[in-house]
Amino acid sequence: MAEPLRVIDFGCCPPLRSQTLWHAIGYGVSAGAPATLSFVRPAAPYVCVGYHRRIDEVDRDYCRANGLPVLRRMVGGGPVYLDADQLLFQICLPAGAVSPVRWQALRRLLEPAVAAFHAVGAPAVLDADSEICLGEAKVCGHGAGQIGGAVVVCGNLIEHFDHEQATRVLALADPAQRDLTLALMRRFVAATPVDPVAFQAAAVAAYAAALGRTARPGELGDVEHVALAALDERFVRDSWLAGPYRPVPRSDAGPVARQVKVRAGVWTFGATHEGAQVAAAVAQGTVLEARLRDPGLDGLAGQAERALVGIPLRSVGEVLAGFGDPGRRLAAAFAAADPGRL
Amino acid sequence: MEPAAPVLVAGFPLALDRRYHAETHMWVLATEPGRVRIGMDAVGIETSGTLAQLSFVPVGSELAAGQPFGQLEAAKFVGPLVSPVSGVVAEVNDEVVADAGLAARDPYGAGWLIEASLGDAAAELPGLLADPAEITAWFAAKVAHYRLEGVIAQ
Repeated sequence: MAEPLRVIDFGCCPPLRSQTLWHAIGYGVSAGAPATLSFVRPAAPYVCVGYHRRIDEVDRDYCRANGLPVLRRMVGGGPVYLDADQLLFQICLPAGAVSPVRWQALRRLLEPAVAAFHAVGAPAVLDADSEICLGEAKVCGHGAGQIGGAVVVCGNLIEHFDHEQATRVLALADPAQRDLTLALMRRFVAATPVDPVAFQAAAVAAYAAALGRTARPGELGDVEHVALAALDERFVRDSWLAGPYRPVPRSDAGPVARQVKVRAGVWTFGATHEGAQVAAAVAQGTVLEARLRDPGLDGLAGQAERALVGIPLRSVGEVLAGFGDPGRRLAAAFAAADPGRL
Repeated sequence: MEPAAPVLVAGFPLALDRRYHAETHMWVLATEPGRVRIGMDAVGIETSGTLAQLSFVPVGSELAAGQPFGQLEAAKFVGPLVSPVSGVVAEVNDEVVADAGLAARDPYGAGWLIEASLGDAAAELPGLLADPAEITAWFAAKVAHYRLEGVIAQ
């Protein structure tokens, strides 16, 4: 007889619980609870940052003023805006049940989600970057991690996406970078307005089939209730929200770009150098759009911006060399962009 | 003492002047009596995916062999870095925390992860591969296995 796949639908929960409930399952599965697929819908909007990300990537003043809690999760990825128009799902298995090779485990545990999208009429694909996409747009955010002795992969069905809020909650000092980020969000992140009940049923069937298990409704066990209480406390502590230790960047390290990843291979950055200021949108290593400011450009900003469209990031310096000293300063600001830090 | 230059084994660099934990791909290099430097070998790095972030427990934390001493994030997957030794964290490599890619670019040198003080070095290091011939054979077999599984390119 096949092992069970416990299925828990937490329904609509406050922001904190929409994170801590499934983290608690990680500890339960570590302690012997069956593999579990869970669902939860945030009752109110909030912002959630990945385990390693700096909290100052989020505009906390804006969030505070607008009643948006900010939480830190134990899995990876960047800051995300979550609300009641998103159905969050999480698959959790003992670490020994998946490949020890992280990207293999991630892909295996995202493939049933792709099947669920197909089942509700959305022909999504899992691309080479392990993004679930329809065309060029990401339709499902995801993160993954090991909690105790369990591996968890989480994702979401986005029924409606508030691109403006998702951009607004980010700390972006340069309005030009904010504009570019919003434009990329609109182009590269899309909702899938399907019946969430049908999607949920399809996900249960797809995960049960992929894992060779029999889906059974379940609920949290004692270990998980204890873990949940501890997580509820941990996740609201300032020390947890601050995140793991990160060294202060060296003051002599040159300009540091503020970078925002929209989906794999698609990002914006903003940087300054000696009074020159750049903001750019980049896709697959090529400049989609750039906004340039330098006191010495003397009305040539538009010309320089047009000259950069379609240029590989690595060749930007050659193009800007034709714009004299301002071009040199702008090229130095561009050099701060580092896709390796995304 | 300058570390010995790595040799190429099955297409990946391998330093033979240190010990290895066969399961986790962590290496351990004695830097002075009772103190070791810990890092991850080139194949461990390769199979993790593109490193995005590394974080470690604070200096002064107790280390237990087989238990996490930090976290590694690659492809949005956060997983534990498992200690090959018991002891106390004496230093963390701020450079690799600031730039996780350093661990991939120079896994046996500047990309080290932490240093640990060992209570009793001789007692804590058994279980690690120490003989260069044994290390080379283990490493080559691991690469062959990962290639067969499609985890790393042929």
